Amino acid sequence: MMDAMRSATSELEDFDAVVQLHRARVFRFALASLRDRDAAETLTQDCFLRAYHGRDRFRGDARLTTWLMQIAVNLVRDHVRNRRLQFWKRTQSSSVDFEAASERILDRDSSPEARAVANEQLRAVWSATERLPGRQRTVFLLRFVEDMDLLEIAAATGMKEGTVKVHLFRALQAVRARIGSRV
Amino acid sequence: MNQHLSSEQIARWMAGERTPAEEQHARQCPECGAELARMEAALSLFRGSVRAWSEQSIAQPQAAWKPAPVAHRWGLQPMRWAVACVVVLMLAAIPLYRNASEKQRQAELAKADAALLEQVDAEISRAVPATMEPLAKLAAWDSMPANQGDGRTKQKGGLVQ
Repeated sequence: MMDAMRSATSELEDFDAVVQLHRARVFRFALASLRDRDAAETLTQDCFLRAYHGRDRFRGDARLTTWLMQIAVNLVRDHVRNRRLQFWKRTQSSSVDFEAASERILDRDSSPEARAVANEQLRAVWSATERLPGRQRTVFLLRFVEDMDLLEIAAATGMKEGTVKVHLFRALQAVRARIGSRV
Repeated sequence: MNQHLSSEQIARWMAGERTPAEEQHARQCPECGAELARMEAALSLFRGSVRAWSEQSIAQPQAAWKPAPVAHRWGLQPMRWAVACVVVLMLAAIPLYRNASEKQRQAELAKADAALLEQVDAEISRAVPATMEPLAKLAAWDSMPANQGDGRTKQKGGLVQ
């Protein structure tokens, strides 16, 4: 246990390496949450600045990734709270960007019909996440984009594990309803 | 378990919570199996889409957590230098302007002081109050020697013969 904590804190000694290793992940979470490239870039910088200034307070009782995501989650929450109106405006204007990027991941070998169905599903998930309440969206993104487990999400968001589950179930139900449920 | 999986059960499944009975049902029920596969595919597409967008959008790595050195940041922006020069010149001009206006103010004060002193001198040099000045002039005229005055010739006690 002590070795793990020591190892986690020693990771912070080479902060350039920390930035190199975790920057893409923090940026991805910020981008998916805010859907604004500039805001995500600023938030990512802010996240590492805060981590750098607060590195003495990191005791290694959580994983470094979880600690950084905790800072990022708080920054996203503050950003959305402070700029709610601009957030929705930007969300609409940036939709073209992620659609263009999404084109690359659709299987080019599949039939046009299959591609159209996949594209429709993708739009539905994007649209559903856009409409999710803040906590549900955060939990959903951490689980399905960042592959974090429930305990890590609980640590990053400051929620209890049971609360995380409830938000995740609700988010999934909302997404499924948007995709169009069969049952 | 004969009924289809409920919406809540499917959500729990996607979150990683499933019972053996639900797993068995999903294997035996083509409809529920297809629904679960459809959800999994949609979530997987979404993950891929976010990652692709993020990779496309992310700027080149840099020491984001460190403020850039001041010289570097300013060196690339001549406009900032121009603005700084203008500000410095304006600041330098303020004392000059202040000096000039201060000198003018001092001169005006000195002028006013001189006028005041002149007036005070005039008051002090009066032998009698201003209201009695006409009488004092008459008295002075009476005692004035013959060779003085306003040119008229007279003598004490009467006119010159």
